[in-house]
Amino acid sequence: MSQPDVDVVVVGGGPAGSCAAIVAARAGLSVVLLERGPFPGSKNMYGGVVYPRILDELIPNWWEEAPIQRWVTRRSTMMLTDTQALTVDFRSEAWGKPPYNGATAFRPDWDHWLAGYAEAAGAQLLTDTTVVGLIRDAKGAVVGVRTDRPDGDLTARVVIACDGVNSFLAKEAGLYEHADAKHFTLGVKETLSLPKEVIDERFAVRDRHGVDIEILGGTGKVNGGGFLYTGLDTLAVGVVLKLPKLAAQQQRPEQLVAGLKAHPAIAPLVQGAELKEYSAHLIPEAGLTMMPKMTTSGMLVAGDAAALCLAAGIWLEGVNFAMASGMYAGEAAVEAVHAGDVSENGLRGYQRRLSDTFVLKDHRKLRRAPELVLSDRVQHLYPGMIANVAERMFHVDNPHPKPGVRRILAQERKKAGVRRRDLLRDGWTGFRSFG
Amino acid sequence: MSIVACLKWVSHPGEPHDERFSGMSPADQSALEFALRQAEQLGRDVTAITVGPSGADKVLRDALACGATHAIRIDAPTTAAGADVATAIASHIAGAEWVWCGDYSLDRGAGSVPAFIAAHLLAEQALGVIAAELHDGSVHATRRLDGGRRELLEVHAPAVVSVEGATARLRRAGLHSLRTANNASIDVVPATTPMHRAEFMVRPYRPRARELAAPPGDSPLDRLRVLTDAATSSAARGEKVTLAPADAAERIMRALRDWGYLTP
Repeated sequence: MSQPDVDVVVVGGGPAGSCAAIVAARAGLSVVLLERGPFPGSKNMYGGVVYPRILDELIPNWWEEAPIQRWVTRRSTMMLTDTQALTVDFRSEAWGKPPYNGATAFRPDWDHWLAGYAEAAGAQLLTDTTVVGLIRDAKGAVVGVRTDRPDGDLTARVVIACDGVNSFLAKEAGLYEHADAKHFTLGVKETLSLPKEVIDERFAVRDRHGVDIEILGGTGKVNGGGFLYTGLDTLAVGVVLKLPKLAAQQQRPEQLVAGLKAHPAIAPLVQGAELKEYSAHLIPEAGLTMMPKMTTSGMLVAGDAAALCLAAGIWLEGVNFAMASGMYAGEAAVEAVHAGDVSENGLRGYQRRLSDTFVLKDHRKLRRAPELVLSDRVQHLYPGMIANVAERMFHVDNPHPKPGVRRILAQERKKAGVRRRDLLRDGWTGFRSFG
Repeated sequence: MSIVACLKWVSHPGEPHDERFSGMSPADQSALEFALRQAEQLGRDVTAITVGPSGADKVLRDALACGATHAIRIDAPTTAAGADVATAIASHIAGAEWVWCGDYSLDRGAGSVPAFIAAHLLAEQALGVIAAELHDGSVHATRRLDGGRRELLEVHAPAVVSVEGATARLRRAGLHSLRTANNASIDVVPATTPMHRAEFMVRPYRPRARELAAPPGDSPLDRLRVLTDAATSSAARGEKVTLAPADAAERIMRALRDWGYLTP
């Protein structure tokens, strides 16, 4: 191969891409970071919580300048039926001061900020440029990318594909065996505007402290879940829907969001808010089950493109996996370029780094969780059963004496139609995953 | 220096300034495209020029990526008044044969800068052009007039032409040109003339009230008909005259005085 244009080309200016570019550029490699939007973060649909601990390795004291909305100091898990809500609510003041834990953020701000570090490290950011395919040599190794610009071929020793969920590059490279709709969910979000003081009062927070509410139930007959996050003067409320169920139920996502907003437990929180934005995005939710092969000769895959998204009920994380996998892809690329071997074998350091760290360890540990959380029983039977148990426990029905919890449980299990062995099996799966 | 494209770094109207949402207006993009086409036709270079702070380098790099050969940024705030901007630009492009501008900027929209530049350069001008044809020594420009009419102009160098945004679509920069432009040098020069802050009009223009006699008519409906001229046929309202330009101008002035728009 003749001299390539650059050492590393990173496709996609999201968290994975920028972290890969930072690492490679800081190591002295020539790096081009390609972004199809007019700026990094311009086309992101994201309403979630960022857990940026991994950034400690790249940007010391990142919290002093990171463009966050609020630091999450209240974490709630809510279980909804049509008329009931059971909430486990936790708050910690420790999460509201350095080194913090999670934060709500707008990705157009976050990605733009992170890409600034890539440029400062020496990476060349080219926006409005869409990669339309891979360039391969005679042996089939990836040696660059083809863009939609005139004269748009760019050759590189290593291509790092961070082109997001449904990655065309990973598919073109043959790294995904097959795409299956059941591995994806559709995230649908509304951004609502409310004055900061109103949000502070309704959610019992002050200053830059915020709330993350994850919701089980509230999506009708479509398996999925809901969420409600506080921005500084906005709320992000939405649902995550299992694709095959959504198609089978013939329901429109915006109807389900409207239904969630109208729930008695949610409506007072969003009352009077003005809709500012509606958006939707695919989420790779199947974890380890759907992950592609991460490496091929001349190319690595990171972030959502590698299906590195943890949707395990209690934990809903993606950006931290994207940033970490991007970092490790950058490190592996540096190692391979310096060694002069960018073959699949030369890039194997990437898989090793993923396996040795939380990126794949968490996914392995929680490999059964996505299927459990999105199963029919967890979605449609357990919330009602548990909410009824709670209602009967807290209901004062004098002159009748209080019934025992075991008796209530047994009665409600039968009423919900849950077989004992299924309950035990799901409990065991949950214990193995979360325990 | 023979062909110049004047570009402005602007944000989306109504939005607080944010470099993510800033760039060249569609009208400036059209102007740049015409400048590049003319340069190809005549075998000349294109100089892209802007007035603004360092963030404005972005539009110059975009122009360089598309094919401009030289970029100049006059270091001054974007709030400078149009007359001062034109003076500063004209002082750096003396000798330009063709100057292409957008018809007006997105943020202020007065459209005065091209006219001021033409005055400084003692150049011909075709402003607010909706179509332009490039010829060897001239440009045939079409301007919009009232009533769906068009004005056809033939302008010769030196000339300033300002074009609307839909007149041409800026070519897409090649990938390697884009990479080169990102590292290209830009001449940053100080404004050599005073730059005053533009005075913005904060409310719509409202002419002063005039005292008018009540219209004749016994009933409110009659008076309304007189006021709105609803019962008169349109043919009777107009006056068709054929006059020399100076006499036509005088006739228009007299009509405006008669109607009360101008004081005698």
